[in-house]
Amino acid sequence: MADIKWEKDFHKAVELAGKTNKSLFQDFWFDG
Amino acid sequence: MNTGPYSDEKVQKYIAAEFIPVKSQCVWDKRTELMKQFDVAWTPTLLVHDSTGKEHHRVVGFVPVDDFLAHLKLGKAKMFFNRFRFADALDNFTTVIEQHPDAGAVPEAIFFQGVAHYWKSHDPKGLRRAYDTLAARFPQSEWARRALPYKQIPL
Repeated sequence: MADIKWEKDFHKAVELAGKTNKSLFQDFWFDG
Repeated sequence: MNTGPYSDEKVQKYIAAEFIPVKSQCVWDKRTELMKQFDVAWTPTLLVHDSTGKEHHRVVGFVPVDDFLAHLKLGKAKMFFNRFRFADALDNFTTVIEQHPDAGAVPEAIFFQGVAHYWKSHDPKGLRRAYDTLAARFPQSEWARRALPYKQIPL
């Protein structure tokens, strides 16, 4: 089973999305 | 480690194929810039953005696997719709409806499938069909009420 490779930096993720022409999925989470 | 819907193989494969996934931590006593930028006030908050970072769809609160996948696909469909790519939008709204018939996102997908059909063909019958489908399958849905004006369109 392949784990999802999460980016941690939104701006870097946008850069990657632009380069790959992919959409971006952002999960706002809270470590409670 | 991936938990909840992220532990599902279908979710993992779909995210890997279609998205750059990013996790942004919330800090309640000192809101982050991203929390302010996207007005995030509860978790989980899930956003679908286009490749420039513009938001097109949002889900607040836990959603199980089937609903989760339907929302991801609805987000893609709305992204195409908002960019006037109506053929692609139509395909993606149809995918939500056909692949996730019991998901909570379906009434919205049916409404916008009708609108995308209208924009693509300039035939208003797509709007009427959206109303008919919503009235038959989801009569209590707000989307059925939003489609109510299309009831007057002749088939």
